[in-house]
Amino acid sequence: MASADGGAYSYSLTVFSPSGKLVQIEHALAAVSQGTTSLGIKASNGIVIATEKKSSSILIDDSVIEKVAVVCPNIGIVYSGMGPDFRILVTRARKSAQSYWKIHGEYPPTKVLTQEIATIMQQATQSGGVRPYGVSLLVAGWDVTRGPSLYQVDPSGSFWAWKASAIGRNMINAKTFLEKRYNDDISLEDAIHTALLTLKEGFEGQMTEKTIEIGVITVPTQTELEAGKVEGTGRYKPTFRKLTEEEVRDYLAL
Amino acid sequence: MSIMEYNGGSVIAMVGKDCVAIASDLRLGVQSLSISSNFQKIFPVTDRIYVGLPGLASDVTTLHEQFRYRVNMYTIKEEREIEPQTFAQMVSSTLYERRFGPYFIEPVIAGMQRTPSGSYEPFIAATDLIGCLNFAKDFVVAGTASSELFGAAEGLWEPDLEAEDLFETISQTLLNAVDRDTFSGWGAVVHVMTKDKVITRTLKGRMD
Amino acid sequence: MPDGSFSHPQQRSFNPYTENGGTILAIAGADFTVIAGDTRQSEGYSIQTRYAPKVFRLTDRAVLAVNGFAADGNMFVKKVKQRLEWYRHAHAKDMPLRAIARLIQTMLYAQRFFPYYVYNILGGIEEDGTGAVYSFDPVGSYEREACRAAGAAQSLVQPFLDNQIYFKNQQAAPGQSHPLHLPLSDVLSIVIDSFTSATERHIEVGDGLEMYVVLAKGRSAQGLEGGRGVQELTTRTDGDRVFVIRRELKKD
Repeated sequence: MASADGGAYSYSLTVFSPSGKLVQIEHALAAVSQGTTSLGIKASNGIVIATEKKSSSILIDDSVIEKVAVVCPNIGIVYSGMGPDFRILVTRARKSAQSYWKIHGEYPPTKVLTQEIATIMQQATQSGGVRPYGVSLLVAGWDVTRGPSLYQVDPSGSFWAWKASAIGRNMINAKTFLEKRYNDDISLEDAIHTALLTLKEGFEGQMTEKTIEIGVITVPTQTELEAGKVEGTGRYKPTFRKLTEEEVRDYLAL
Repeated sequence: MSIMEYNGGSVIAMVGKDCVAIASDLRLGVQSLSISSNFQKIFPVTDRIYVGLPGLASDVTTLHEQFRYRVNMYTIKEEREIEPQTFAQMVSSTLYERRFGPYFIEPVIAGMQRTPSGSYEPFIAATDLIGCLNFAKDFVVAGTASSELFGAAEGLWEPDLEAEDLFETISQTLLNAVDRDTFSGWGAVVHVMTKDKVITRTLKGRMD
Repeated sequence: MPDGSFSHPQQRSFNPYTENGGTILAIAGADFTVIAGDTRQSEGYSIQTRYAPKVFRLTDRAVLAVNGFAADGNMFVKKVKQRLEWYRHAHAKDMPLRAIARLIQTMLYAQRFFPYYVYNILGGIEEDGTGAVYSFDPVGSYEREACRAAGAAQSLVQPFLDNQIYFKNQQAAPGQSHPLHLPLSDVLSIVIDSFTSATERHIEVGDGLEMYVVLAKGRSAQGLEGGRGVQELTTRTDGDRVFVIRRELKKD
């Protein structure tokens, strides 16, 4: 076993147990399930990702906490688990998106970016001197070939596409709730409300615009696509954006 | 002695109505000595993209391999065919990687670009040897006969040519231009691409 | 050295030549000739003037276009004109075109080891009434042709002329043949197209276009007279006639 002085098994902290399990990864998943609930729902005309943002003390200025992150104009992510680990992944994902842009002149498709993040997370399960990332991610994006897509990435580096999913504390209940509520032609507006309802199920305390964060993908219309890139920027109109506190408040009021 | 003129050769691409054309000469030489009259400088990238690589002959091969590698990796990774616009960016970044020790090639790209509505529109582009992109709406030229090509194309090209007329225009432009360039000539090849097919013709010019 | 001695060998050099850009062009028809040039004069990336003529009427049947080093060009034209004046005094007639061509060769070659840094194109009507173009290199090699471009945009214009005037790389329809000479209106269109193309793609070409048209004696002026921007320069009636057509070119 790994020991402080560096024994035979200290090349990596993630080592197979005799039964074939990587216990470090299971521990990472445990860290995720202690994190706040996040969820994502794919609608017919967009995607919503949402999370609860709860601080341990009322003295914390929560206006600077960011749990839903923009990676590039067409992709956003949310996490459950360890905040510091998420920050590292966001930075890596943003860099990856920018280097893709430098080579191809456009931002990566959701699947490609998800793969990149997943690769980074997988490497942490096989490299020496590191521990796996203590987060699960929901990646929401839009691209011209696959349209809107929603992926979940786990600490092991495995990823799946979902119509709707939840991660973090209460994920089992949240998923059961989503299974009941979901249908294939749900609109983005309805999906946002479903997201809020789902979060409400396991929510402790008051749900306000300060304790909820929402990001949405809006599928561009045919005319917007035909219009092409935004004048002078060489970029398409962003499809992912975070809802402002005012917008969140309005949704909560309904 | 300029490396860009060591082997000779020229490429041109033109836009027509719902079609594009790309053409090159077939000469390979070593300075003033002609070696081959069947040296390929234009390569298919996908069913809808061609790239022309005029310049140093050894770099023609190297870059062609390099582009094939990168396009294959792209196709596998992204599970989709690369679009002309994206390929042009890829060419540009590949060349800029060698900013201070460049490949001596000035690529020309021609293809049919898929639009959001699912139709196809003509696309052409050219870069210098370190990858500075030029997206022209009419025609692009490169190689040892570039000034002759510019003059001839500027005089012969007109907007919205149908595929057959575009073939005639690009052929005449190329043939007459290379006849005034000692480093280009010895026959030509012309590809005319529409949304559903490519017509390739090999031309004999004055073989001297 | 400050004391006036020379401890190292020193070299000074003076380059007596410069290149002033621009392009000239001439096309011969059956019984006419068009000689044209743009009017921009530049040095490096600076435009010295937007109107410096490069094409000059020598006689009622000869027009000379000079391109290259403008100072040499102007001096050369001056000297050719002087020799033609002397000829008139001695022979009471204008020098024939082919004789002017030979004179130019002699004058150029006389400066074999300090050449006039100019490319000349002489156009006009021969004594037999045919249109003719003579082109020269700076030291006097010359030949008679049907068309020729010279100057900064020669490489742009000449392939286009090969195609449109000589029908190079074109095959005539079965049972037909390409015309040896084109009508004046076609030639003028080709000249204008050539210069607009060269203006578009060459920075040293533009501003203005002067097209001299020399018509053989007895040939109808075909709407040339009184046309917009057309001026007749003929000095004597009942002989060959010279016109100049001035056009604007892009100035950027």
